Amino acid sequence: MTPTGTNRRGPARGDGRARLLLFATARTAVGARTLSWPVPAEGATVGEVLAGLARAHPSVAPILPHCRYFLDNEAVGVNARVRPDSELAIHPPYGGG
Amino acid sequence: MSVRLSPRPLSLAAAFRELEDPTLGGVVLFAGRVRADPTPQGPVLALVYEAHTAPALAALRALEVEARRRFGAGRTVAWHRVGRVPVGEVAVIVGAACGHRSEAFAATRFLIDRLKRTVPVWKEERARSVRPPRRPRRRPPAR
Repeated sequence: MTPTGTNRRGPARGDGRARLLLFATARTAVGARTLSWPVPAEGATVGEVLAGLARAHPSVAPILPHCRYFLDNEAVGVNARVRPDSELAIHPPYGGG
Repeated sequence: MSVRLSPRPLSLAAAFRELEDPTLGGVVLFAGRVRADPTPQGPVLALVYEAHTAPALAALRALEVEARRRFGAGRTVAWHRVGRVPVGEVAVIVGAACGHRSEAFAATRFLIDRLKRTVPVWKEERARSVRPPRRPRRRPPAR
């Protein structure tokens, strides 16, 4: 799926949108702090969402392997399931202090 | 145990008060200030810190729990500024109160080293821009 389009069958009942939160270099690469991202009703893995993000915004692709991912404020791996109304945050390497 | 993400200036005196305990004799505080590092655009004037608030606070709390477990820290602080922090101002304070100095130094070192690696905070430099020389304004052509 793409951020603005639907799949070939058209949006199925229950399909929805997740919210992507982008920080630091990931935000700069994408040019947005948040994105509304389409996900099917049954959800998509974090890895699938990231692959779609990298296709839509190639400049973020080299950053993503160095990032951590938080789904609804919990640290997750790429196999976690993003569902409609989830919030997926993309954290580039930290730089506090 | 005190964690904070603050848009307002951080006070070392307030952090020291957080560590008060008559049974803990070793108290160490570390403060990190914004440096005027050189950049191609001129010296840094400020850093702008951004945090992902809920995970950042959770990570700060986890650090404090770990500092207690590893070093027996009786009291700890882990405070970070967010927003624009001018050069010279304190961006981060961590500290620990322990029974003796060696544990307090070790716990404080642990807190700042881990904070940098595990707490979702990012910074962006704001430097003085070198302005190009002014060009004389052109008059509009006469009609």
